[in-house]
Amino acid sequence: MLYVELIAQGLVQGCIYAAIALGLTLVYGLLRILHVAHAALFTLGAYIGVLTTNATGSLALAFVAAMLVSGVAGVAVFRLGYQPILNRPPFVALIASIGLYIAAEEIFRIVFGASGLSFVAAPLQSQVPIFGGLQFKQAEIAVMLGTALIIAVLAYLQNRTRIGVACQATVSDPQMAESFGVSLQMVRDINFFVGSALAAFAGVWVGLLNNLVEPTMGSVPAYKALAIIVLGGLGSVQGTLLAALTLGIIESFGTIYLGKVLDRNAIAFAFLIAVLLVRPQGMFASK
Amino acid sequence: MIGWKKTARHCAAVALAAVGLVTGPVSAQTQTKIGFNVPLTGFAAADGASALNGAKLAIAQANANGGLGGKPIELVVYDDQGIAKEAVPAVTKMIEKDGVVVGVSGSYSGSTRAAASIFQTAKIPYVTAYAIHPEITLAGDFMFRVSAMGEVQGRAGAKLVNDLGKKKVVIVTIKNDFGQALAAGFKEAAVKFGLTIQNEYEYGLPDRQFGPIASKIKADNPDIIYASGYFYTAGPLVSQLRSAGITAPIIGQEGYDSDKFIEIAGAASEGVYVTTSLDRDSDAAATKSFLTEYKKATNAGPDMVAASSYTAVAVAIEGLKKTGGKGGDALRDAIAGLTYDSPIGKLSFNDLHEVAKDVQVQIVKDKAFRRHSVISDPVLLAPPTKKK
Repeated sequence: MLYVELIAQGLVQGCIYAAIALGLTLVYGLLRILHVAHAALFTLGAYIGVLTTNATGSLALAFVAAMLVSGVAGVAVFRLGYQPILNRPPFVALIASIGLYIAAEEIFRIVFGASGLSFVAAPLQSQVPIFGGLQFKQAEIAVMLGTALIIAVLAYLQNRTRIGVACQATVSDPQMAESFGVSLQMVRDINFFVGSALAAFAGVWVGLLNNLVEPTMGSVPAYKALAIIVLGGLGSVQGTLLAALTLGIIESFGTIYLGKVLDRNAIAFAFLIAVLLVRPQGMFASK
Repeated sequence: MIGWKKTARHCAAVALAAVGLVTGPVSAQTQTKIGFNVPLTGFAAADGASALNGAKLAIAQANANGGLGGKPIELVVYDDQGIAKEAVPAVTKMIEKDGVVVGVSGSYSGSTRAAASIFQTAKIPYVTAYAIHPEITLAGDFMFRVSAMGEVQGRAGAKLVNDLGKKKVVIVTIKNDFGQALAAGFKEAAVKFGLTIQNEYEYGLPDRQFGPIASKIKADNPDIIYASGYFYTAGPLVSQLRSAGITAPIIGQEGYDSDKFIEIAGAASEGVYVTTSLDRDSDAAATKSFLTEYKKATNAGPDMVAASSYTAVAVAIEGLKKTGGKGGDALRDAIAGLTYDSPIGKLSFNDLHEVAKDVQVQIVKDKAFRRHSVISDPVLLAPPTKKK
């Protein structure tokens, strides 16, 4: 029974990692930028989520607001931050991204205060007994269902709509796609919008699970999500999903059985090193 | 042409340096300066804000009462982000550039340990508010600490478990100086009280997700849980332990001691015990006056960090009053000889400049910290003394 619980807890965490890392892998696939500031949009989403819920009492509205605001902010980050330096070597964008993240962290602290925000009446906190003494918070179950749903919707859009196909075409060969009339600008904007909205989605859930959003809440996801997309074979959506869920479960067991030797946040990197030794192209890379 | 410009620049630099030399010592003479390193940004910024409020209140009160010989006392504040590498330049600056006569740490153990040896080398007294690592006072005879050390608080935790009639304990430890010191003290005293430690789990400072630990503790089924952390880790931890269906009582320490903990953990915070140094239901005049004055000045609920920082600054001022503003050996001896009624109890320093005092046990009741009991055991709670 303990193992079942640990797997479930790992999946909850894995779903959150997945939602954060997906946006990152979309950006990497398209522009080859390691977008560290992605974690700032995750934090922004979490703040908007708490503020909207506290003001209106509606969690659904909070998700919509958080995803819209972060989505638009993500497009702004791309247009103002990355677009002007796209023709420079990739490390230029990486450094800009790290700087942007640090600045954002301090802006959150100055605007919203150092001690973070909590929900006045946090929704989805009651217990749901499953079977045999196993019980979960409503929010934990909702994270898993919500992430599965949003990924299914995205997969549908990507494979069944014109824009989705255009995005895929641009990832595999931007010049060819452009010659077929695909607007690169539009594809990049959509990419940042969707990726950032996903980060905000994860941010609101983390806020709900912890009942706390803080200026520094993005600092661990900022680098752990990078490890996840490398594990998943840089730029691969399916690989990222699998890597995120696997890491969630490994961390869940690691916290209990390796906690004294290896910090939970180091497990991701130990795992990364181990995988890269055996499969340098990433755990699930197709190429 | 270039040579001329260079010379002009050099001249300007020399002139500026000369002005600096002249004004530096003069301004230091006119006003007594107390240095204060505190994490105003970074992970500990919330505690830093409380610490600064406490320190400012102590300065404001002293200045309202005539300051030092009629002149106001100045608090020189530097942000150390709660980390050692930021604390070193910060305290070096406050010593060399600002010319502080005494330093106060409103910061965590890591940064305070780094600052301690710098103050010791400069022979400037340094009063630590709430950093609990043993190494701090071992840096030398210019070091003082107004709060109980981690080991002492850990021992008090074990006594509380025993007093509550519980035997089987699970320990959850935060992986830093603070958590390690508490766990060491707790385990040492647990042997004495015959407690069984079923398991110990560790977590890192950035962790907020404790689902796996909660699942495992549920399987351990302990009588009581001794969990260290700060309000921003303890809030999610306590709430997630209760969510998993664990009903065993939880004991926290002074890191929990903030209204923010109750806000984050919500209903799950009810009944949580906290061993700390601030008693909200105290009858002592110094504590009662601090609680009202702090609320008046900041419009926020006082916490342990604010009370300890207030006390540390007040102790420094008390010493300065004795020496008439003189620092160095005179101030060190003056502080060492003080007996001071503070919001966190009556203080006097032993030969290692640590304080011996009771540990307050608070319990969360109706969304507020209330007095549960006081652990008073001079032998168990004795701070370490100088190694002879």
